[in-house]
Amino acid sequence: MFNSVEEYLDALQDEMKDADPALAQDAQADAREHLSLALDAAREKAPDGSEADALKSIVEEYGTPEETASAYREIERRTSPSLKRDSKPKSIWGRVFGVYVDPRTWGSLLFMFITFVTGIIYFTWAVTGTMLSLSLMILIIGAPFAILFLLSVQGLALLEGRLVEALLGVRMPRRPLFAQPGLTWGERLKALINDKHTWLSLLYFILQMPLGVLYFSLMVTLILFSLGVIIIPIGQWVFRFPTYQINSVGYYLPVWSLLLIQLGGFLLLTLTMHLARGIGWLHGRYAKALLVS
Amino acid sequence: MTELGAQTKKFQKELNSGTSSLILLSVLSRSKEPMYGYQIAKLLEESGPDIPMMKQGTLYPVLRSLEENSLLESTVEPSVSGPPRRYYKITKDGRAALEEWLEIWKQTKKFVDANLKG
Repeated sequence: MFNSVEEYLDALQDEMKDADPALAQDAQADAREHLSLALDAAREKAPDGSEADALKSIVEEYGTPEETASAYREIERRTSPSLKRDSKPKSIWGRVFGVYVDPRTWGSLLFMFITFVTGIIYFTWAVTGTMLSLSLMILIIGAPFAILFLLSVQGLALLEGRLVEALLGVRMPRRPLFAQPGLTWGERLKALINDKHTWLSLLYFILQMPLGVLYFSLMVTLILFSLGVIIIPIGQWVFRFPTYQINSVGYYLPVWSLLLIQLGGFLLLTLTMHLARGIGWLHGRYAKALLVS
Repeated sequence: MTELGAQTKKFQKELNSGTSSLILLSVLSRSKEPMYGYQIAKLLEESGPDIPMMKQGTLYPVLRSLEENSLLESTVEPSVSGPPRRYYKITKDGRAALEEWLEIWKQTKKFVDANLKG
């Protein structure tokens, strides 16, 4: 039983986790194309039906994730055994320094810098909205205001999901949740309040600000420090800049240590990159847990 | 699922694995415009018998493998709503293959029918 196309795709990915990643990707693209089109057609035919019901009959025709996965594997086995690429394990050098050319590293870094800004916006929005909703509850406009605010939280969650997917590479929902039509204001508010998705998203938005500040300061400090350590020996060697200066007396590092210090700076930068990629990976999992439940 | 049901399913699957390539090539050879998977699935559903012979999801890997063997070619086009669609078109090699396959199919059908009558 699937509530959304994303759930089906997740199940399919799960079924194909041992398969060639490219094959799994093909299967994902095909299933996404077919199921979305079929769902659109079903919506047109019965606009009031629920997404889960429509998907049930669509999946019946399309095949369960197990059936689909086995169809892809079977064809792959039959047609191109000789073309099968074996994924070679990377050398230790590739694993340590490959981090510089890994798009995930740069995506994570960019995400952390962006979070510094979006975190503040999310936090302000979440706190202001919550406070106003609570205090307006005693007035007649309280309920509509709360609904609008909670809907905006879901919208923001979708937006943040797109950002997380683009920069951190974790698959997030591409479409808003199917809203049940024909509800009164009160029922709609109740549905939103009973949806744990709403509250987890709100929590995520509030936590984004401290996280954004932490990510930003951590990364800026580490990167600037590593770059400084790499550049200082060059300054001393080429321009005769002292490493530090006290009472107009310049202090220089011994010449033999310059290259070692640079090497240290480079290693620190490499470690920072690994840290960035690691944090990006963790944040992706965390965002998925809170925003998609 | 009972043991017999599983056997029947397997038999159906094995039959389909050959015929689906033939059907897809034939459908695409008759179509003037390139078609995408969902379109093909709908077409088969309309023309097919009441019992769905194969799961629609199994068409897609067949399309991909036909393309890999250059019997089909495809282009991806973005759509206004939803994910991009992959449009398939039959190639010259595909038409040649289809002609041979149709011949084989005719002979197979004759052979099977003749033997089933006993």
